[in-house]
Amino acid sequence: MILRIEKIGLSIEADDELLNSLVEKGKSHYPNEFGGFLVGYYADDNKHLHITDTILPKSFKTSIYNFERSTKGIEKKLGTFYKEIPRKFYVGEWHTHPDNSPIPSLTDISAINAIINNKNACLANPVLLIIGNSKTKVDFGFYVWFENKLYRYE
Amino acid sequence: MDKSLHLDTVIKTHQITKEKNLLDKHIQKKNEVKEALENEYGGNVYAPFNSGSYAKNTAINTKFDFDLVSPFKRNAFGANGTLKEMYEAVYDFLYNKYKNDAEVRKQKVSIGLEFYADSDSAKIKIDVVPGRELNQDQYKDDENLNLYVYYKYGNIAADSERIKTNVQSQISNIKDRADKEKDSIRKIIRLLKIWKNTKYNYPTKSFFLELITIKAFDNITITGNLWNKLKAVMEYIKDNVTNDGFTLKDPGNSSNDLSDTLTDSEKQQLADDMKNMLDRIEENDENIKTYFPENPKFKEEDKSKNRYNTNGGMPVPPPKLNFG
Repeated sequence: MILRIEKIGLSIEADDELLNSLVEKGKSHYPNEFGGFLVGYYADDNKHLHITDTILPKSFKTSIYNFERSTKGIEKKLGTFYKEIPRKFYVGEWHTHPDNSPIPSLTDISAINAIINNKNACLANPVLLIIGNSKTKVDFGFYVWFENKLYRYE
Repeated sequence: MDKSLHLDTVIKTHQITKEKNLLDKHIQKKNEVKEALENEYGGNVYAPFNSGSYAKNTAINTKFDFDLVSPFKRNAFGANGTLKEMYEAVYDFLYNKYKNDAEVRKQKVSIGLEFYADSDSAKIKIDVVPGRELNQDQYKDDENLNLYVYYKYGNIAADSERIKTNVQSQISNIKDRADKEKDSIRKIIRLLKIWKNTKYNYPTKSFFLELITIKAFDNITITGNLWNKLKAVMEYIKDNVTNDGFTLKDPGNSSNDLSDTLTDSEKQQLADDMKNMLDRIEENDENIKTYFPENPKFKEEDKSKNRYNTNGGMPVPPPKLNFG
């Protein structure tokens, strides 16, 4: 799947295989929320983001309306991706909205702000993927934070 | 910074076609007023026509100049009717017809109709310019008209003078030059109008800027990129407009000197403004954006510079995050 934001000229790509695996992981926690870390690399002179992998959290708390993850135990995996060619790194986060639309909540926006303001995160443009999932339907909402605004890829 | 590139963007964001809706509303309202005048004056008026910047192809989308010239027959207001009586009669008619829909104002040579904002907040302004042919039935042969000067118009005194001109010649003269030299004359005229529009109630009329731009191109060698051309015209205005003997011939009547439409102090203000702009832009290129701003409504983001960014090093997620 390749999506773009015409207004700012940035694009994103995620393989169907990866997206299917995220949907399956989400389903396995339904009706609770679930999520993880997105890994990928920038291409085309940093105008294109290719999301290639996910890292699932080892430690998390979940409920119907909330998902809290920690980074405990994922450092090694991050280091391994970073050694690959092209260099892959943490680019954002994903989580599910069970029986709901893939639209960011206020908690999600706060999380994005926490990433921007975290100096170790080093990300100026974190990506957020929300999967709105029900028993019969799946919707993806891809977002990126760019110059103080959250944009949705179309 | 590339000043010419900026100026080109300024012109693009001011293209009249970007405001098609508003333009269509102006055209529709202009046609309504035209029809009202024709119904009221019947055989005493020739077909009213638009003489504003839209007719001359020099329009910008932040100010639509719609001037509707109404050419009346010599005897329309009686064999001994005066130009003042013509002006007052047309004002009375327009006031009674539109007083509930618009501000109706007496202006220098025209009657301004500023219609109240509609549901889209669109404000439509049409200036009706009453003119009278010189002799009965002569207009169709020579297209000459006498206009009435209601307010003091530069050095032209109120009520004491009439302006004899040929509006069709004025339009075609400017339109022809602007069309033929669209990368120079038309662009410079539009830029100067955009600058004028940044000021409230500036005394220099658009018509003056059109004519002085054409005169600059006729009198000095103007070459180079868009900024070089604009700079040359601004320098020409600064160096010449206050000179004794500087004239701007009316293309509709060479006996009219349109430099008289500004007083000496207004000419000095224009020259000073040109000097000030040139000096400030010379000091700092970025100042050009103040004098010649893009229309923010149609400002396009420069997508080519946009990039995903990391701030160096391997990005590490924040230790704990909550999603909902």
